[in-house]
Amino acid sequence: MQRPASHVSAPPTTVAVDLVGVTRLFGTVPAVVRADLRVERGETVVLRGPNGAGKSTLLRIAATALSPTYGGGTVLGFDLLREREQIRARAELMTHSTRLYEDLTAAENLRLWCRLLGIGPEGIDAALDRVGMLEVAGERVRGFSQGMRQRVAIARVLLRAPELLLLDEPYTGLDSEARYAVDDLLRRAPSEGRTVVLATHHPAPQGLEHRTLHMDGGRIVREAP
Amino acid sequence: MSAVASPGRPGSFRQAAAILAKDLRIEVRGRHAAGTLLPFAATLLIAFGFAFGPGREVLERTAPGLLWMAVLFSAVMASRRAYQTETEDGALEGLLLAPIDKAAVFLGKAAAVTVELLALVVAVLVMVVALFDLSIGSPLPLVAAFALGVVGLAAVGSLFGVVAESARTREAVFPMLVLPLVTPVLIAGVRATDLAAAGRTSEAAQWLGLLLAFDVVFLSIGVLVFGYLMED
Amino acid sequence: MAAAAERALGKATSRNGERILGSLAAVALGASLVLSLVVAPPDAVQGEVQRLMYIHVPAAWLAYLSFAVVFVGSIGYLRTRKTRWDRIAGASAEIGVMFTALAIVLGALWGKPVWGTWWTWDPRLTTTAVLLLIYLGYLSIRRISDNPSRRARWCAVVGIVGFVDVPIVHLSVVWWRSLHQGPTVLRLGSPEIEGTMLLALLAGVAAFTLVYAYLMTLRLRVGRLEDRAAREALSPIVEPAVEVEV
Repeated sequence: MQRPASHVSAPPTTVAVDLVGVTRLFGTVPAVVRADLRVERGETVVLRGPNGAGKSTLLRIAATALSPTYGGGTVLGFDLLREREQIRARAELMTHSTRLYEDLTAAENLRLWCRLLGIGPEGIDAALDRVGMLEVAGERVRGFSQGMRQRVAIARVLLRAPELLLLDEPYTGLDSEARYAVDDLLRRAPSEGRTVVLATHHPAPQGLEHRTLHMDGGRIVREAP
Repeated sequence: MSAVASPGRPGSFRQAAAILAKDLRIEVRGRHAAGTLLPFAATLLIAFGFAFGPGREVLERTAPGLLWMAVLFSAVMASRRAYQTETEDGALEGLLLAPIDKAAVFLGKAAAVTVELLALVVAVLVMVVALFDLSIGSPLPLVAAFALGVVGLAAVGSLFGVVAESARTREAVFPMLVLPLVTPVLIAGVRATDLAAAGRTSEAAQWLGLLLAFDVVFLSIGVLVFGYLMED
Repeated sequence: MAAAAERALGKATSRNGERILGSLAAVALGASLVLSLVVAPPDAVQGEVQRLMYIHVPAAWLAYLSFAVVFVGSIGYLRTRKTRWDRIAGASAEIGVMFTALAIVLGALWGKPVWGTWWTWDPRLTTTAVLLLIYLGYLSIRRISDNPSRRARWCAVVGIVGFVDVPIVHLSVVWWRSLHQGPTVLRLGSPEIEGTMLLALLAGVAAFTLVYAYLMTLRLRVGRLEDRAAREALSPIVEPAVEVEV
């Protein structure tokens, strides 16, 4: 599993995510309000809260999929507003949308990803095998279930080995094989030095050390060990 | 909006080529564009035939214009279609979050739409020659006119196609944006086609120059501003 | 306390400034009306109807000036991300579209008695018509309200692309029209411009520019108030820690 090369080296830091005063409005509707999120490298943090609490929005802001309306901070040492591409090179967001092209095969989707990122395609088969998708590598994604798609998305993560992994309700609509693959990904993260922020209603995998934050009404309201 | 250049990461053109290849492969597999564009263009041309015919003379004289109208409307459809495949599973966000040059997405998409439109142009030319009796005086300027014109249409369409696919944008906004901007392509394209069909190559060259200038300007601008359209 | 006083002062001066500008504009408008309707002689060939030029030409000038401001505002916004620039661009587009429509309507009204038809695809009028369509495209994007920062960015791109396109459109239309020497070579202008006619024309241009500036200050003030109202509606919930620029 290659790491994508980046000629800008990350400034030394033990903090993976450091968002300060982040607020995001959609028109006049506040989704996230003055949220401070601080995650150490190698930590796993679980975000919990009711629907509409702002968990997705906060994750997406950290992933640079959305810009904050107010506030900012750093992710992996890079400025959230000004160094977005650097963050994108090192962080990966997993959501219910798996961002795969329907008419391409699983392998072709991954090959495209590798071509865009300059990763060699040698690792594709191994990654697909790890998630149990090697036999269907040559089939079009259109016929895949949500669980199968999510597993291809996990293979994408494995290929890229990001330093920060952000997961937004990854368990939704998954079969048991896929749930296992997600759990596996989460369990391995600490040993691989990967920082994880996970938003879910699902219970966390057994034995996974993590910190829990509760969100409600766009704010982080409570922290539990 | 600059690329994260690095020893391991491919340059912007390689990234654009990857996106072009992806779009063409999807098109070949799913025949999305061909399935809609071709019938659409054919329907349009036949409708023109009913509207302006059956006397051949009027049709002959208006053939270049009708041809370009068909290409123009097809270009709007093709650009829109190019971004519909990106919304299928949030793929566009995937491209946004990838540490690639966003301008590469623009160039790749514009190239893919260009290829689709060129294929369409060939089909439409055949239809028009048959239906409207358009004679082809000088083939080279004719081909150049369509090639250059299509690139310009694809550039503008691929630029604003991102806007078209957003949930809140109304249907009519995209053509409203694109059509006035491509007025020079329509004017120059029809003139050049007219002159080429009549064999007046040297006069056509002036219009071909205008098309080329349009392409250069809009591809350059697209490269500069596309990133701003993709971000949220 | 001090900040509130400062804000009040700012409001007062800008209000005063507005009033002065408005008065200047009114005076200039009056002066140009007098010059164009009374002082300037009727055209030797076209007669009284030629006086429409004194409104048409300034309106057209403003159509393009407004769009230039949209262009500058758009670039300003993309570079600084400050709402001020987006507000300027949007205000100029709203005002500009009116002047553009006015210029086109007057052009047609003027053309009917002179050319015999409402529209002869005169190069400048045609380019202005395309400009109107580009404006409308800009304003239709502006109506998307769910995501103001994205809307502002999209509008800015349209403003920039549209502005760069206008000269190309003009060139293509001029070449296109030069193919057809119409039966009348009369352009919307006057074959000879006398001293007083030129004066009236310049007065019209100056007056309209002042009117534009006045309308801009009005629209910008409304825009600032709108933004402030929106912020205040949210402040119980949000209270931005970051000072938002005006």
